[in-house]
Amino acid sequence: MAAEVEVTVVTMRDIFQDEAGRKSRFSDEYRDQSALIILDKQDMATLGAKDGQSLQVKNDVGSVVVAAKTSEDNPHQGLAFMYNSPWSNQLVSDAVSDSSIPGFKSIKATISAAEENVTQISEIQARIKG
Amino acid sequence: MAICTGCSLLCEDIEAAEKDGALSHVKNLCRKGHGHFQAAYTERTVPMIDGEQVDLDRAIAKAAEILKSAKSPLLYGWSNSTLEAQAVGIKLAEKLGATIDDTSSFCQGILMERILSGKLPTCTLDDVRNYADTSIFWGSDPSSSHPRHLSRFSYYPRGDKRQKSYEEERTCIAVDVRKSATANLCPNYYFQVAPGGDAQFMEAILAVLEGKIPKVGDKKKMIGLGSILKKTEWGVIFAGLGMVYSLQEKMDLFERLVAKLNEITTFKVVPMVGHYNMRGFNELLLEKTGFINRVSFKDGKPAHGPEHSVVASAKTCDAALVIGSDPFSALPFGTARALAKVPLIAIDPRRSLTTDGAKVVIPSALSGMEAGGTGVRMDGVKIKFEPIIKSDLPTDEQILTRIMEAI
Repeated sequence: MAAEVEVTVVTMRDIFQDEAGRKSRFSDEYRDQSALIILDKQDMATLGAKDGQSLQVKNDVGSVVVAAKTSEDNPHQGLAFMYNSPWSNQLVSDAVSDSSIPGFKSIKATISAAEENVTQISEIQARIKG
Repeated sequence: MAICTGCSLLCEDIEAAEKDGALSHVKNLCRKGHGHFQAAYTERTVPMIDGEQVDLDRAIAKAAEILKSAKSPLLYGWSNSTLEAQAVGIKLAEKLGATIDDTSSFCQGILMERILSGKLPTCTLDDVRNYADTSIFWGSDPSSSHPRHLSRFSYYPRGDKRQKSYEEERTCIAVDVRKSATANLCPNYYFQVAPGGDAQFMEAILAVLEGKIPKVGDKKKMIGLGSILKKTEWGVIFAGLGMVYSLQEKMDLFERLVAKLNEITTFKVVPMVGHYNMRGFNELLLEKTGFINRVSFKDGKPAHGPEHSVVASAKTCDAALVIGSDPFSALPFGTARALAKVPLIAIDPRRSLTTDGAKVVIPSALSGMEAGGTGVRMDGVKIKFEPIIKSDLPTDEQILTRIMEAI
């Protein structure tokens, strides 16, 4: 069975991704800056993943294929980072706490290697449309 | 000088020159602002009904027809519209008996409520520049989100009382789950917290301030933090989404910490608002209804509650008007999916996932570039701006006025 890693995904902002999104949400540049998951070195090793490789991130809400990126931060096994984007929001539940704020920064997900390419924005649009 | 409406710093020193109706050159923009200004020339919307291009009058008439026939319409967005447009939007919600909510509903709202009600002491960014000797970036990363924050206000500038600035007089502290770009500026004062661990970290600071041993964190480092805070003459906490999302129902603890700090010295809180006029909407709605967001006019009188949040209302509304916002990109999949099922009107200068999924698209002039008006900076300072590019496109305010007249 292919390796899987359980993580908590925390979303964050990035100035380069923000700039790309302002110019166009439909550009390759925005996709390349957004459809990423940043993982701890140890989690990358467990998955046998290299930078740029497609990984599936899934949970009860949904699933996306994004590119792997090795974290340069202190060790944070089990904690992953994604830029706030339509890709990360595919995994955010709309079941909310008392304050009615969705868990944008506490997404439980399972990661595994993917054979498909990174999820395209058109696929996300089609899913939303249903 | 032009104003950049790319974020809630509303930078007022943008030099923009126009030639033949277009921008010929612009100076002083940050990278984010550069993307924002470039947006004037990419992915502009045209009036559409069901994916077919129509004239503006038809799109506005169709929008009015949808809203008029809806029983529970939702009016959402607002954080990228001028105060003038927001005022018309609130009147429209009242007239329709609609629910009205903005982006603060799922970001800074629970913090903003405490700032605007006076439960948390606040100040202007100009006060920060002039007086602050300690800036705490808590769950915020201005180097990524508000790129000129540090240079204009919070770290580098030489203020009235801080002429020696960051070299000698200002200490920058970062509290975050990751070593952000801003945390990299203050490696000695970077405090890493576990996701959801902000409340525990606040308890630890309170313990240190009360002379007790903290239960979390490196004890020596925590005691060091306590002494920096005690020695601070004039401090400010820039509270970001990292803190707000982590605390949620425990926001009272933050109030307790700030109150404790103010027993010792001066400490203010500035919310790191993202969109340029989220605070403006919150202030305006508070003035009109007594609530900063999540208001329903269904029974005539304004009612407030989580059931009127965009996340909840998306599932109960039977039509929606989205203005200057892209919920299909920014909100959870289930919320976007719910909004996609109702007749959706999108008023936006630019193409987005939401305009692509809307039944009616109404293009508008870009605030700050093609449309003038007023915005409220993250610290509550009102900033007026004039258009810098000629445009035939209607402003948000004009579009909303026309919709209201047609209802």
